[in-house]
Amino acid sequence: MDCRAVQRHAVQRHASDSGRSTDAMIDHGLLVQMLIGALLGISVYLPLMAGQLSLATPAFYAVGGTLAALLSTRWAALGASADGRFPLPSFLLEVLLGGVLAGLLALLVGRLVLRLQGIYLAIATIALVEIVRVAILNLPLAGGAIGIFAIPQPFANAAGYLLPALALLALAAWSCQRLESMPLGRAMAAIRADELAARCMGIDTTATKLSAFVLSAVLAGSTGALAAHFLNTWNARQGSFDVSITTLAFVILGGSRSWLGPVMGGLLLTALPELLRPVGDVRLVLFGLVILLGPVLFPQGLITPALLERIGGFGRQEAQG
Amino acid sequence: MDVLLQTLLNGAAAGGVYALVALGYTLVFSVLGVINFAQGALFSLGGYLTYLLMGGHISVSGGLPGWGLPIALPFAAALLLAAAGAALLSLLVERLAFAPLRRRNAEPLLSLITSLGAGLVLVNLLQLLMGAEGYAFPAGSLAGLPAVVSLGGARIRSVQVLLLLICAAVVLLLTLWLEGSRGGRALRAVAEDPTTARLLGIDSDAMVRLAFLLSGALAGLGGGLVGVSVSLPGPYFGIGYGLKGLTVLVLGGLGSVPGAIAGGLLMGLAEAMVPSGASGWRDALAFAILFVVLLLRPTGLLGRRLVEKV
Amino acid sequence: MNGTSAGPTVPPGQPTALLEVKDLSCRFGGLLALDRVSFALQPGEIFGVMGPNGAGKTTLFNLITGVTPASGGAVCWRDEPITSLPPDRRNRLGMARTFQNLRLFEGLSVLENLLVALQRQPRSSTLAGLLNSPVHRRAEAQRFERAWQLLEELRLDGLAERQAGGLAYGDRRRLEIARALATRPTLLLLDEPAAGLNPTEKEGLAELIEALRSRHRLTLLVIEHHVPLLMRLCNRMAVLDFGVRIALGTPEQVRRDPKVIEAYLGGAA
Repeated sequence: MDCRAVQRHAVQRHASDSGRSTDAMIDHGLLVQMLIGALLGISVYLPLMAGQLSLATPAFYAVGGTLAALLSTRWAALGASADGRFPLPSFLLEVLLGGVLAGLLALLVGRLVLRLQGIYLAIATIALVEIVRVAILNLPLAGGAIGIFAIPQPFANAAGYLLPALALLALAAWSCQRLESMPLGRAMAAIRADELAARCMGIDTTATKLSAFVLSAVLAGSTGALAAHFLNTWNARQGSFDVSITTLAFVILGGSRSWLGPVMGGLLLTALPELLRPVGDVRLVLFGLVILLGPVLFPQGLITPALLERIGGFGRQEAQG
Repeated sequence: MDVLLQTLLNGAAAGGVYALVALGYTLVFSVLGVINFAQGALFSLGGYLTYLLMGGHISVSGGLPGWGLPIALPFAAALLLAAAGAALLSLLVERLAFAPLRRRNAEPLLSLITSLGAGLVLVNLLQLLMGAEGYAFPAGSLAGLPAVVSLGGARIRSVQVLLLLICAAVVLLLTLWLEGSRGGRALRAVAEDPTTARLLGIDSDAMVRLAFLLSGALAGLGGGLVGVSVSLPGPYFGIGYGLKGLTVLVLGGLGSVPGAIAGGLLMGLAEAMVPSGASGWRDALAFAILFVVLLLRPTGLLGRRLVEKV
Repeated sequence: MNGTSAGPTVPPGQPTALLEVKDLSCRFGGLLALDRVSFALQPGEIFGVMGPNGAGKTTLFNLITGVTPASGGAVCWRDEPITSLPPDRRNRLGMARTFQNLRLFEGLSVLENLLVALQRQPRSSTLAGLLNSPVHRRAEAQRFERAWQLLEELRLDGLAERQAGGLAYGDRRRLEIARALATRPTLLLLDEPAAGLNPTEKEGLAELIEALRSRHRLTLLVIEHHVPLLMRLCNRMAVLDFGVRIALGTPEQVRRDPKVIEAYLGGAA
């Protein structure tokens, strides 16, 4: 879990520099970290809306992050300088490019892997994550196992990242909500319910699954670009099998019948290890216990269809049951 | 010539370990149709238990610095006990991560998460106890065995030969048991058709427990063997083998015993063939092979075709 | 074309068949589920397929709709071969089906089941949908209007918000028909529409099918176990036995065919 160590380091770094300037009680670094968790949760949820269990999110996250880390440290035209602030438009451009590159990769890979069913798809996407991780590790410019350091900062402190992270999350949530009242989202729900019947009703299931896969990748890629700047350092371990597990846990614990589920799961499970920091080294054991016992105690996740009914259908996905 | 032989033997030894892990997955998958993601953690456990049972001490960064068991067993005994320990823990994993979901007829996907959780708990408990850095088995762990043997002009580490022989023996025994014994036949009956097996008076819950017990033992054996032949690079080392085993499992086709063995050997040999100049890519090779095979044959090399009934 | 004299006389050189099945075969391992079956559907007719259990009727449907690949022979749509097209493409050409053992989108509401099938009626882009543009809203309005029409036509309008999985059996059968109609088919394939219905519902079914045919200008291909219904409903019919077409003609001709009496009607008595 080296990635967690890096994340913790970043959170601490941001916590210490933001602590001076703002209210020390609010840990802005942790909040940004939680938002990144929620974004990755939605990225896992999108293919699930079409009934596809893909664990490829960390691969696309890593691609976006590596792109941003490379561009901002190697390409002077973006405006990075030793002392000055990294220009905000350059940062936003990287977030966009990270999403585009990840989306293109997903378009390429998705055509191949989405022919696979069920657990075979899950395992193939784990393989994809490992291939991308090793590729980044061996990439000449990416700094090997140590990675890329001193990624320039567009903001004075961690609090600066809150707004772009929130904006990205709002955009993702809005898109998920919109999907439910448009043909693409309905086709996804139909495939999740009965793929063969969906095909017989004229739904191009390949294109629909590919759309969900690409949307998921774009979101993960953009999130990666944002995270690379926020974390200040980036290496191949950011997108490893561990991240597949944790992001999937976001969805399972939160519930997979609405985008609210992965968002809640991402926020809570990212905060949990940090909130558990006082108990020291035991926190990862406790984190594991949550994943182990969560599905036993809450088989439908925290955000269940019944709960959504009660709060008025907000964020409800059409496929229930 | 001798280099080639050496490479082949290294590959076969690694492949034997992959086959052990994949067989563990296969046993559970064939009776339950799910994958036990705690397998990698049990592999780690096997390695560390073997180390402790052979009289190894905990390093300064561990939870009990300098502590060790008051016994120092020979390798064979330590390995068997470690496998038994991993088997018992595998039973516990079944109780905590699988049984409650099965009783409730929950979505099979959930057991993927719960078993990952169980593995995470186990690996991190190991880390708390033993510390994060690696352990090497003491020199002379394999008393009486020369470090290197000569074979047709090639000089080969004898531990590799031993590892290969043990893997082959275990695989052979397991296959014979599955084919020939009452218990093995009952297990296969449950794997074929649980409902009919129940009608024939086979206790399918007992068979599930048996499958977990055996798969845990296989993982424990693998961990101990890798530990003594290479080292224990840290509590997470089993996860890597678990992932490789998973690719082997798919290569061979889910639920196929000969497939798991063939896939393991294939994978080990392919990795051994990677030239040292490209060793950084070795870890990706297994997954690249898997990727290609899945695309050509969506249910694995020897897997059965899935047909949807309309 | 099949050489049976029972088919309507076709003027030479004029393509009239909507769907033509030529020497269609399907093999599962060693079992020949369908053995060189041929027939042609004329626009507007109701064509029945009957046969004992395991005769290959549903396999025939699966081959026509592209669910199962054919081992031999050809399926032609308006004289164009479509044997290698996937089910979704065939649906978009104008054929829609129901399933013998009902395959509704169970977790979705009745209305949503229809909206899924209406996704191209009319088409609208994903971008327009994400932005909720006026184009998208107009398209949605049309889809809802069409869905409600179909619900009313099949007397499901009171159940629009209910989950499809929770409906009574007869309602689910009608919902499957409504869902198939929502894709605007020229050819509707019904796989045992009377199965599981009570006698009253069975009685109403023939009238319903007849009404749907004229209102939607459909050609129908119907598999049915309930022989009286088929005899009453169909213009022509084919009889399958062990994957072989043993008879083809009007209900009257089929009823008198000695092979049919032996293999099917006689065998049942």
